[in-house]
Parts: sequence; C-alpha cells; structure tokens
Amino acid sequence: MLSPLHIYSLNESAVTIKFGDIISEDILAVVTAYDQYLNAKPFQGMTATVPAYASLSVFYDPLKVIESDLVGVDAFERVQQYLSAIKIDNNTASGSKSDIITIPVCYGGDLGPDLNDVAMLHDLSTYEVIKLHTQAICTVYMIGFVPGFAYMGGMNKRLASPRKSTPRKAVPAGAVGIAGEQTGIYPLQTPGGWQLIGQTPLKMFDASRKQPSLLKAGDRVQFKSVSIEEFNQLKGGN
Amino acid sequence: MRITFIKPGLLTTVQDLGRHGYLSQAVPVSGVMDTLSARLANIAIGNDENAAVLEFTYSGATFRADDDMLIAYSGEGACLSINNKILPSDRPVFIPQNSVVKSTGNALGIRTYLAVAGGWDVPEVLGSRSTYLPAAFGGLQGRAIHAGDVLNACEPSELNLKIFESLVSSKVHHQPWLVGKGLLSKAQRSVIRIMPAAEFRWFSGSSIADLLTEPFTIGLESDRMGYHMEGRKIQRVRHDELLSTAVAPGTIQVTGNGSMILLMADCQTTGGYPRIAQVAAVDLPLCSQLKPGDAVYFEAISRIEAEMLYIEREYLLKEIAASVRAKFL
Repeated sequence: MLSPLHIYSLNESAVTIKFGDIISEDILAVVTAYDQYLNAKPFQGMTATVPAYASLSVFYDPLKVIESDLVGVDAFERVQQYLSAIKIDNNTASGSKSDIITIPVCYGGDLGPDLNDVAMLHDLSTYEVIKLHTQAICTVYMIGFVPGFAYMGGMNKRLASPRKSTPRKAVPAGAVGIAGEQTGIYPLQTPGGWQLIGQTPLKMFDASRKQPSLLKAGDRVQFKSVSIEEFNQLKGGN
Repeated sequence: MRITFIKPGLLTTVQDLGRHGYLSQAVPVSGVMDTLSARLANIAIGNDENAAVLEFTYSGATFRADDDMLIAYSGEGACLSINNKILPSDRPVFIPQNSVVKSTGNALGIRTYLAVAGGWDVPEVLGSRSTYLPAAFGGLQGRAIHAGDVLNACEPSELNLKIFESLVSSKVHHQPWLVGKGLLSKAQRSVIRIMPAAEFRWFSGSSIADLLTEPFTIGLESDRMGYHMEGRKIQRVRHDELLSTAVAPGTIQVTGNGSMILLMADCQTTGGYPRIAQVAAVDLPLCSQLKPGDAVYFEAISRIEAEMLYIEREYLLKEIAASVRAKFL
C-alpha cells in the first residue's frame, strides 16, 4: 500500500509522522487534527503522542502492538498501517478553533528586564511593544524544552528579536520572552536565551494539577497587560 | 520494611520505569537509567518490574535496615556489603534488622539499583514514582536522598512474602540461584548498536565512516539528561534548520560544532539538532553504565533487527519472572 504520510521510526517504540518543513498555521491544524484523532481513537498499545511544529510522534508498547489485530510484519509496520489509514478531512483540520486563553503579564521593570532593549531595537516605545504584544492572538505550536514550555507563533512580526548572545543562567518561572518571531513563557526556573519582556503570575506548569501544563499545542493565547499590584495579587492567589 | 540513610552517596534517587503519559506536555520520561538492572532486581524478589527502586551513583551510600528486610540489588556502580562482607547481587537477600549496609566501589560502571519487597513507597506524581530533579517533582519530595532520610516499602505481595519466608533467619541469608543476567548481557560491552536516525543523510560519508569505525569517549559533562561524546567531529552536507521534533532516550544529536550528544533518561522531549543515530533500546542499559573517559564503538543494525532484539529481550524477562514465580507459588 502506498503511504501518503511520511512516517519514520524514532526508536523501537515510537514513530514520527512528518507533515512538512515549515512553521505554519495550516500544518499545525493538520498536526492537531491527527493528535486529537489518535487520542480519541488510540490503537492497542499506544502510550503517548508528541505534537511538534510540523510533526506528530506516536509512542507505543511494541509487545502490545504485535499482539493486536493490526496487520504488518513488525510493530513499526502495524503502527504505520494504522496511521496511514486515518482520514482527516480538511474541515476537521481547519474548522475547530479553540477558545482564546488570556495570560496576564506584568511588562517591563525587574519582571521584564529586556523590554527597553526590544523597544530600542525596533525603534518603538515600550508602550508600543506592550500594545503589539497584547493585541496579537498567538497560537501554541508546541510544548517542549522543559515541562510546560509553550512555543507560540502569531506574534506581531515587528517584535521579532534575536536571542540574547549570552543566555541567562537562571530565567525565573513565569518569564515571558521573545526569540525570533516566537514568543513563549518559561514555566520553571531554567537557563534561557530569550529576550524577557515581562512575567506572568500564572503557574504555567504544576505537577500536582491533573492537567499539569496550562497550555497545550493548538491553544490560542492573548496576553493582557497587568500592573505590578495586580501581578502580586494574582500571584498570591496561586 | 524501612531503611534510614546514614550517608546518601554521590547521587541517590528513587526511580521506576518512567513517566510515559505526559510527553506532550514536555514532561521527560525519567526513570532508572539502567532499566535492565532495575527490572532484574525487582524480578528477583517477586516485585512488579515497575516497582520503585533506589538508583545509586558510584559508591559511598550507607543505610541502616530498621526491620528485617527482603532486598535485591543489581548494577555495576557499587557492591553492597554488611560488616565488610559483600552481599551477592541479582538474587533475593534477607538482611536482619539493624544491619548497616554500605555501598563500595565496583569499577565496571556507575549505577546500582536497590529493590525492596513491595517497592519503595513514595507518592506517584503524574503516574510515576520517578524523581525528576530539574523540575523537583517525583521520588522523595522531588529531590535526591539526604542523610537522615527514611524510606518505607509498600505492602508486600503474596510472592514477596513467600520469598521472604524462604530466607528469614537471624543473619544475612540469600538464595543460591540468581536471575539470569548473563543471558541478557553482551560479551562486548564497548560496542553499542545503533540504527540510522531521520537526519542520517544530512552528514558526510566520511563522518558516517568515522561514526562506525572510530572510538568515541564519554565526556565529563555527562549526566542523567545526556552524554557528550568526544571524538571525531561530525561534518554536515545538508545545512537546513531542523524544526524541533520529538526525541527520546538513545537519540544521538549532532550540535552546531559537530559534537555528538547521546540523550539519556531525563532528556527533553523535543529537540532541534539533527539526529544521526538512535541507540538500540537493548543497548541503552549498557550506555547507562558508561563513565566519563570510557570509549565506545558504534555498530549499525537495521530497524527490524533492533525491534527483534527488543522483543526477544522482553520475552526473556517475562520467562525469568515466570520462573521466579514458579519457584514459590
């Protein structure tokens, strides 16, 4: 059977479906549609999926797969057959837009030490940077790097900024940063090279929650500027 | 059954076979580095293979048994001893209350696993008892073991109790048999089997030849997240940017300066460096015992061979567990 999907083996218990080589909303919609389909209708032995910019990886227990009704000489072939038979119509792939999640951010000052640099780089006032950052509806392309780190596209391109030449040794949890055309939020204190323009009081990742990561791939996000008082109040409420 | 730590050793953590359900939220698998040793230690005393064990790094840990206990240990980082008498590994061992157990050097590897009847009792976080230090969750309060820490075992199973009863005594006592690690170990420990990874063709022919013929040495900056492999630089012929995509323990990435990184248990779930190879799952336990300065060679096998080796090993482990059970139940 000719496979229209590009599927490769990641290891003995995972395959990756590759949908393209670029970051785009259209590809994200296809990745999300396959991800939702598989999580609604997992094959026997499937354990997890990992959606990324233009790929979806599917993890499984090879013993359960070879003991299943799926057809193929080995676990890889059986999973490949199952994935190739999935029919995603264009309406499912583009029609289901998620609700917009609002993320409060206190911009500038100690919480956003690179806000001035980003403003100067683009010949904007800090007020304009905040306005552009809060106006856009961003899309979560992928959760990666550390637990709960959301890579988001859709930021106003006028704010695109290079990573810092020397990464910081410790970026605080909640820091909102820019790298290239993407924006993201550090869920834990980690080293990091993104330009930090603000901080959210929300806990982006909490292992004790049922859904530990606040965001998931495919979510739509809008930032909202809050004062330091509101930030402290919201943070205290966590 | 309970122990109290007198000395924690270099890095001692509670681990099971890992956290597999939250990869989409970038929660790493974690878990024991040497899955084979940890599973055999559990199998030897009739535990579920996923029961929580202690992972010791090198030697230097000392603990006291606060009760009569049934334990088993396996791995290549240390030997356990009581009163300077080495306890045999890879089999059930009874140790009486108040025994002081020390871990002493075993030059072969790094990591050693201690299983207790019932498994170590720490809360499950996101479906696993494994410690993930970078985000400080799982295991014992999300951290490594300290001096003074007390660890309890979960309720023993019927099989645990049968094995315990077969050995109970006033002194150290063990079974004469051991779980068949020899059946599962390779004679040539320094040859690691790999399969080509997705970006294999992004690298030059001479670099591929280097990968398969030259030695590579484990760098000093190596930990549970990954190993730096020192040796010939790997040259690229394709210079495209790779969009970040899923990686897994065993993935070998090539960084911007042509160095290779072998990802291990605590690795990130996604990565953007091109991947030259994937270590066969059956050889990852060997990798987990490599120390900085150890040299290895890589040998290419096909995806189909790797899957067959994996399945063969899984069935063999099932047989070993069944034969332990058959002795007592």
